[in-house]
Amino acid sequence: MSADAFSSHQNQPTTVDYTGKVPVEHLDYDYIEKCKDVKYLEKILRALRYNDVVSGEEGIYPHLIQFCETHLEKLDPRSRALRKENPVATAASLSHEEWSQIVDELNTWQEETKKNEASLRHQLTFDDLVNENIPPVRRSNSFVPLSQNSITKDRKNPTKRALPRDYREWDKFNVENECELIDGNTANNDPPASLNTGPPQIKTNVDASSWSQPEKLLLANREKDKGNEAFRANEYEEAVAYYSRSLSIAPSVAAYNNRAQAEIKLKQWDKAMEDCQKVLELEPRNMKALLRRATVYKHMGNFQMAAEDLRMVLMEEPQNTAATQLLCQIESKNKECQREGKKIIIQEVEEEDDSMNEEEQTACPVQPSQPVGGEESSATPDERGDMGNAQKKPHGRGDGGPHSESNNSHHGHWRSKGSSDKYKVSQEKVANGSNKRGSTASVPGDQSGSSKPAGGNTGETVNLDAPCGALPPPLSRLKNEGNLLFKNGQFADALGKYSEAIQGYTESGIDSPDDLCVLYSNRAACYLKDGNSQECIQDCTRALELQPFSLKPLLRRAMAYESLERYRKAYVDYKTVLQIDMSVQAAHDSVNRITRMLIEQDGPDWREQLPEIPLVPLSAQQHRREELPSAEVLQARAEKAARDAERRAEVRFTTLKQEGNEFVKKGQHQDAVGKYTECLKLKPDECAIYTNRALCYLKLERFTEAKQDCDAALKLEPTNKKAFYRRAMANKGLKDYVACSSDLQEVLQQDPNVQEAEKELEEVTVLLRQSLADSSPAKPRKTVPITEVEGDEDMTPAPNSESSCRGDNSTINLQPTNAYEFGQSLSAARFSRNTAACAELLASTPPETLPEFLSTHLDGHTVSFIMQALDSHLLEKDPNLVYQHLNHLHTTHRFSVVLMLLEKDERRHMTQLFEHLSAVESTEFSKNDVQNLANKYI
Amino acid sequence: MSAPLSKPQIIAHIQKSLNYTVFDCKWIPSSAKFVCLGNFPRGTGVIQIYEVQHGDAQLIREVEKPKPIKCGTFGATSLQQRHIATGDFDGNLNIWNLEMPDIPVYNVKAHKEIVNSIDGVGGLGIGDGAPEIVTGSRDGTVKVWDPRQKDSPVANMEPMEGETKRDCWTVAFGHAFNDQDRCVCAGYDNGDIKLFDLRNMSLRWETNIKNGVCCVEFDRKDINMNKLVATSLEGKFHVFDMRTQHPTKGFASVSEKAHKSTVWQVRHLPQNRDIFMTAGGAGNLHLWKYEYPAQRNKKDVDGVDVGVAGSVSLLQNVTLSTQPIASLDWSPDKQGLCVCSGFDQSVRVLITTKLNVL
Repeated sequence: MSADAFSSHQNQPTTVDYTGKVPVEHLDYDYIEKCKDVKYLEKILRALRYNDVVSGEEGIYPHLIQFCETHLEKLDPRSRALRKENPVATAASLSHEEWSQIVDELNTWQEETKKNEASLRHQLTFDDLVNENIPPVRRSNSFVPLSQNSITKDRKNPTKRALPRDYREWDKFNVENECELIDGNTANNDPPASLNTGPPQIKTNVDASSWSQPEKLLLANREKDKGNEAFRANEYEEAVAYYSRSLSIAPSVAAYNNRAQAEIKLKQWDKAMEDCQKVLELEPRNMKALLRRATVYKHMGNFQMAAEDLRMVLMEEPQNTAATQLLCQIESKNKECQREGKKIIIQEVEEEDDSMNEEEQTACPVQPSQPVGGEESSATPDERGDMGNAQKKPHGRGDGGPHSESNNSHHGHWRSKGSSDKYKVSQEKVANGSNKRGSTASVPGDQSGSSKPAGGNTGETVNLDAPCGALPPPLSRLKNEGNLLFKNGQFADALGKYSEAIQGYTESGIDSPDDLCVLYSNRAACYLKDGNSQECIQDCTRALELQPFSLKPLLRRAMAYESLERYRKAYVDYKTVLQIDMSVQAAHDSVNRITRMLIEQDGPDWREQLPEIPLVPLSAQQHRREELPSAEVLQARAEKAARDAERRAEVRFTTLKQEGNEFVKKGQHQDAVGKYTECLKLKPDECAIYTNRALCYLKLERFTEAKQDCDAALKLEPTNKKAFYRRAMANKGLKDYVACSSDLQEVLQQDPNVQEAEKELEEVTVLLRQSLADSSPAKPRKTVPITEVEGDEDMTPAPNSESSCRGDNSTINLQPTNAYEFGQSLSAARFSRNTAACAELLASTPPETLPEFLSTHLDGHTVSFIMQALDSHLLEKDPNLVYQHLNHLHTTHRFSVVLMLLEKDERRHMTQLFEHLSAVESTEFSKNDVQNLANKYI
Repeated sequence: MSAPLSKPQIIAHIQKSLNYTVFDCKWIPSSAKFVCLGNFPRGTGVIQIYEVQHGDAQLIREVEKPKPIKCGTFGATSLQQRHIATGDFDGNLNIWNLEMPDIPVYNVKAHKEIVNSIDGVGGLGIGDGAPEIVTGSRDGTVKVWDPRQKDSPVANMEPMEGETKRDCWTVAFGHAFNDQDRCVCAGYDNGDIKLFDLRNMSLRWETNIKNGVCCVEFDRKDINMNKLVATSLEGKFHVFDMRTQHPTKGFASVSEKAHKSTVWQVRHLPQNRDIFMTAGGAGNLHLWKYEYPAQRNKKDVDGVDVGVAGSVSLLQNVTLSTQPIASLDWSPDKQGLCVCSGFDQSVRVLITTKLNVL
């Protein structure tokens, strides 16, 4: 067969005879390969198979059959000729893991359904067939003919009624109604051409009241499935209807989320927004909802909010391509908007935008095609430096130059050319330099840098068990896992690994500060990525204690300081970095930026306010090749033992601090004070603890102690705004208005934007004047009669007292002057379950006014809440006041009714209170009095 | 057939040989149990309940009934009661409480001859409106029953006097998306498919697919009717797009030749209406997916809407036995779990994997 013959076959595919037998020449590799006619190929295949199975007259060619099949599959993967009969799969045809997973799922399902079934059966015993909301039985025995032509003549009208037979029935005959019915019928007789395309009349809410919980879940889920199916078929209105049904049976995050998506498709932005909000209320970190809300924001033109949501998403899932794409779109749109409407847009907005972009950059290191320019690029390269950390190390010995360069250019292509080039050079040097230093630092640890496989090799071959310096295999594994996780953007997980490694290190007692330094430095990078700048700084500091003047911890610490807006410290660190290595472009840029900030903040003599920039010894500078003085190493090791102990204390310290913070959140300030005090025993020089404890003291109205704590804090950190502000509040409580105003002025000088401080200052100035006027002019700051001042306080407008107690009860007015204000405060306290605030409120309310204040909104819960407040907070301090309150409370209007409606629990609270009260010895009331009072309540 | 592991796999999990001919098997909703209905060799009927436990199906209960039982449904019962409605060889419709299956909670002599097919709606939370059961019989009638009404059907679809009576092989409910709308589709031995509108009590549409209609099913009963699959005697099945009805052309459809022999049954996946399994006369099962066209309707030359059918693609096919697979039922609760019975006197529990990723 010649080539011409093939081509002739190809050129005339129509002449191929589909019906006849396939000529034997066509059963040929070449012919099959060149044949493009699917139908004919199928025929050939059939012929081949027929040969194979039955006739065998042309011979059996298994390989040719296979060849034909693959060729056919290429042309038409869905060809029917390719379908083969498969035997049913069995457990053995799956991998063991897959099968055991399936079996596990099946078993859990069986158990669950058993439980469900039991509960259903249980349900059954309760309600036997109470189903009122089932529609009535259809009109009895309608006859429907089977053939179409008979419909018109024989169709029975289901709504047809017999004519009234009685005269009385004629009276009830409503002509209009009947006419309407007839009209309706005629309309029904001519159905439109397409009967089923209009929007379906689906009820969007389902009466689920008669169903039990498992039933509801099941049905809600089914309605959701229906919604999903409609969504997949691009019938979004129907999908929304079914999601709504699902939600009306049992609300679920998924249904809200899906409805939002369907509404987005229908461009019902407001509704979609509502649904997204609902999801986020239920589950604040729902990525899908955030993404969808961002889409909605984008379409509503609110690019700021959209970008913010996307940033959140990218923080959690840096690999999320949908989010990055959307962000790009938004960014470009935003820029357009800014370009077009430059006159309208306020400067501030732009700034905000910039900072946001920067954050996005840090949050998402793998963002593709992100246009970066100007200031942002200066911030990002050093980020990349951190990421590159792991990647470059393996090539540190010099032979890895080309590879790391390609790595760099790979990352670099998406940022602005200039900076990426510069950066490339600098990064190279950083990597080399740090390795060299590593190799010179200690004898066993010199491999720490270069032998680190670090999972960074673009993920091709990751040897998690590769040795790391002097670390024992389990620790080096942890470290490598951490590196890998970090590389993949799972910073929180990486953090855990590093922490484990560090702990394991301290426990194992190995002597290799370099490795520990690297671990701390890596963990710091994780913290930085997670935005936990404080911890990052701590880890960097530890790393630097182990390895003074090592580049990466310094750089990271600088960045953390910068993000905390502690520009002076950041400046110092960046400067140190530059001393070590002049070529770190990121540091240059940051220094420039911070210089500008500092000039703005501190004026022309900003340099004088800087802490001292440490002089980097020549040995540590990267361009020199001398070894580190071994004395330094020895010193570092000597310090290590001390630091180990310190570290353990550290752990305890942080837990105590967190517990303290928790208590503050719950409003248990007394307990919080205890925790903070313990903290300070461990670390007497922690500024934040002092300020926190000061806050607690303020809440407890122990102003003197609060002031002392603020003083201590200010000694440690002379510019701490919080400390100043809290001291101001303490001073205000102590009626030392002069000191108060000076503190507030200090706050405002540091940061003119603190509005609370401004407000306070205004108030305090008023108070100051009044107190000066009230008291004798000779002694302006002494013994102001308390009653008078209280009068003053009462006269001050409500916002004063509001802002005077910040934090939890910042919105609770503790000095109400009328029933309305009292009611507001009480309900605010009740909703936040803040009994302390309620107690304060009651303490400041004269008992005799209580009935009047309470009159309008006395109910069981309020009474119980007041009881709890009195019991838990006020009884200790002032039992007399409690007695007075109780004495007046029962005179409130409607009190007896409320009392009757109290629940068991609430009664218990009341009994407890009276038990406690009767245990208190007092001059103002006797046990008998309490007993009498109790009788009125219980 | 590239990447075979990414496709759904149909795995034979449990196989149980029975000592009777099994006609129908059904999962009991909200449980890991299924019911088998059949015919003892001595000519009596049987109901068996099995529970799936630790990789085995254990017989929990067996009841013998005077007449062979052809078909059953849970479609018209509440989730709490879960009574099964069955049709037998004698034309009786019975509803059984499976806890106490000795006497039926409802019974009626529904047809003169064998009840070939039964379906229910309005129960289990599927379908708004009253709970109703439809039966189709060899006597040519299709009757709709309400379990609350004794003795007489609420609707009766039968041939006019003088018309030839065709054997009705299959019935199915659909379109029950609100209290009023409801449709019954019936398939006959001559290839007729009739769609009855129970709201207007009229024949809404009919067609003929040239071969006996073995099984019809809507993709979902409780939505505005969307798709209908009808399987036929000679191995083809037809998927009708039920959204757009053209005054003369009716519904658009796509047909596929799936099996070399009769397609006995079609069942849609309860969790995804676009996936369905057909059971064939040669003991094989085919898993299909319907793909919608870009536009589901278009205007014809007269400007009237006409539907556009999509396409079906084969996801997986397996051969279970040499005998026909006569009934198949997906578990309503566990996605991918199904039970099927064949004329080889055995019942099998199958697991289909990767349905959630389709």
